[in-house]
Amino acid sequence: MKKKINFKEGLIYGIIGVATLFTIGILVFILGFIFSKGLPHLDSHFLTSQFDSTSAYVDVKLSEGTENPLGLILGEMTLKEKGSIEKQVIVVKDIEKTSLAESAVNNKGQNLAISKNDIINRIEGENVEGKSVDEVNQILNSINADKVTLRITKQGGGIFPMLMTTLMMIGLALLFSVPIGVLAAIYLVEYAKPGRFVNLVRFATESLAGIPSIIYGLFGMILFVMTLNFGYSLLAGALTLSIILLPVIIRQTEESLKAVPDSYREASFGLGANKIYTISRVIIPTAMPGIVVAIILSIGRIVGESAALLLTAGTAAKIPSSLFESGSTLTVKAYTLAKEEANIELASAIGSVIIIIILILNALSKLLSRKITKI
Amino acid sequence: MVNKFSIKNLDMYYGDFQALINVNMEILDKEITALIGPSGCGKSTFLRTLNRMNDLIEGVRVEGEILLDGENIYKDIDVTKLRTRIGMVFQKPNPFPMSVYDNVAYGPRAHGIKKKAELDEIVEKSLRRAAIWDEVKDRIKKNALSLSGGQQQRICIARALAVDPEVLLMDEPTSALDPISTLKVEDLAEELKKDITIIIVTHNMQQAARISDKTAFFLNGELIEFDETDIIFSVPKDKRTEDYITGRFG
Repeated sequence: MKKKINFKEGLIYGIIGVATLFTIGILVFILGFIFSKGLPHLDSHFLTSQFDSTSAYVDVKLSEGTENPLGLILGEMTLKEKGSIEKQVIVVKDIEKTSLAESAVNNKGQNLAISKNDIINRIEGENVEGKSVDEVNQILNSINADKVTLRITKQGGGIFPMLMTTLMMIGLALLFSVPIGVLAAIYLVEYAKPGRFVNLVRFATESLAGIPSIIYGLFGMILFVMTLNFGYSLLAGALTLSIILLPVIIRQTEESLKAVPDSYREASFGLGANKIYTISRVIIPTAMPGIVVAIILSIGRIVGESAALLLTAGTAAKIPSSLFESGSTLTVKAYTLAKEEANIELASAIGSVIIIIILILNALSKLLSRKITKI
Repeated sequence: MVNKFSIKNLDMYYGDFQALINVNMEILDKEITALIGPSGCGKSTFLRTLNRMNDLIEGVRVEGEILLDGENIYKDIDVTKLRTRIGMVFQKPNPFPMSVYDNVAYGPRAHGIKKKAELDEIVEKSLRRAAIWDEVKDRIKKNALSLSGGQQQRICIARALAVDPEVLLMDEPTSALDPISTLKVEDLAEELKKDITIIIVTHNMQQAARISDKTAFFLNGELIEFDETDIIFSVPKDKRTEDYITGRFG
């Protein structure tokens, strides 16, 4: 009899163990897969460059009295193009301090600095593709003028626009949703009398939290993009995100307001302070860590959102220069890269960045939650 | 001696439940009045009626009159003004999670005092009156929650004194404190009696006997007996009072 129980316990223990290992295994596998594909791409160039490569003609003044008047140290690089055609190009390896390449101007007279990793296509109209560094240096040395006109190509493949768009999206969405959410939570906890109305509001926020984001995306597309005619834009995306975030912020803020001991309210009212003074001076400061956690969770949600933004903010891989321009966040770009361009490597690289951001945000919110429980 | 509070035919209800039944009481100025009675007898409820703290609870209804210096506190006096005239100290020390200074300055700031010199003066004076200045004067910018329970309670008393109240309501102020801290709070109450009226709810009969001038015995929402403390504790008129103070119930 005893043995039977032990066998049963052992079996259950075994199943539980397998389930746990399975969970951890999947997590490790996913992280390992994404990181192994993506991490090799992660470098400063990846984080700071534009996504699309751009070409332009620039004039560079030559600095006098130096051995290398142009001040560019060149190298050769093999460029893979679509259809696996390779071509050899000349690339800027380094820039000497004496060089005036930073103050190069394009043909519209605007400043367009030459930076590392830029490709030089033409020198004074002469195609240098396929030439060796020595040949190119000879061409440069033979120039006898105080400036030289180059056609350069700024290499793309970076995620700087997506990073910036993500940041803008975070800022804008929080700007709309945090004040509304926090005020609504204050109303629910501090002002509303328990009853039907409060239950209705709670039911509404809880239902909103459970709706899949593609529905919000459709709604945002119809309301903001089409009816209000914002187009696929930063603004439409941020407004849609705000609606998604509201339940998160309201519920988290509500919880942290409820966690403020009633004795603080009593003490404040007992001193003759009125309600607004009590809320602004005692209750909100005490609940602040919880509100910050709500904001961090919201940031996580914004970083992770793809469906709703795909339908409202569009997929342009550039930094939106106004509220009414399209821009894609990291997650949306990872989606379009994988789905439309089948570029799994780059999608994984973006994935790694997203995972790192999420890990940092989770650690931050854990840290702050611990601070709340200390009160 | 003049009447500070006159309570006339006071009834109080929590929804359908009647928590106080026809309470009549005259509380004199600059005395300590102790409210005793078993748990749930209505003594804390009565105390919280005096500064309208019960207003915060849903479904509370008050009938009868409570006069403070002849003015009806439910009709003639604005509730925030009333609560500056009547300070309150609670059962569990409840300093705000901020510095000692900000705790004590909270009341004056809530009533619009902004000048630092003025606040400094009020804070020091209040802490001195609460007999805790010497202990905290070097840590005045430290979080009040870092102090001991007894010190926290005296900070709360200082906080209540900072708005210069005429009456101090104390709701079992020493029940969460150790014996030494309890004695300090009791000494403080006797010292404060010179300037203000104190009404204290206590479960501790010795405490009532030690510090109060008058004692009121409550049972099941009724005021059973109210007299000089010496009389209540030596020759109570009501059998129920005698049973309670001799420890036969409660």
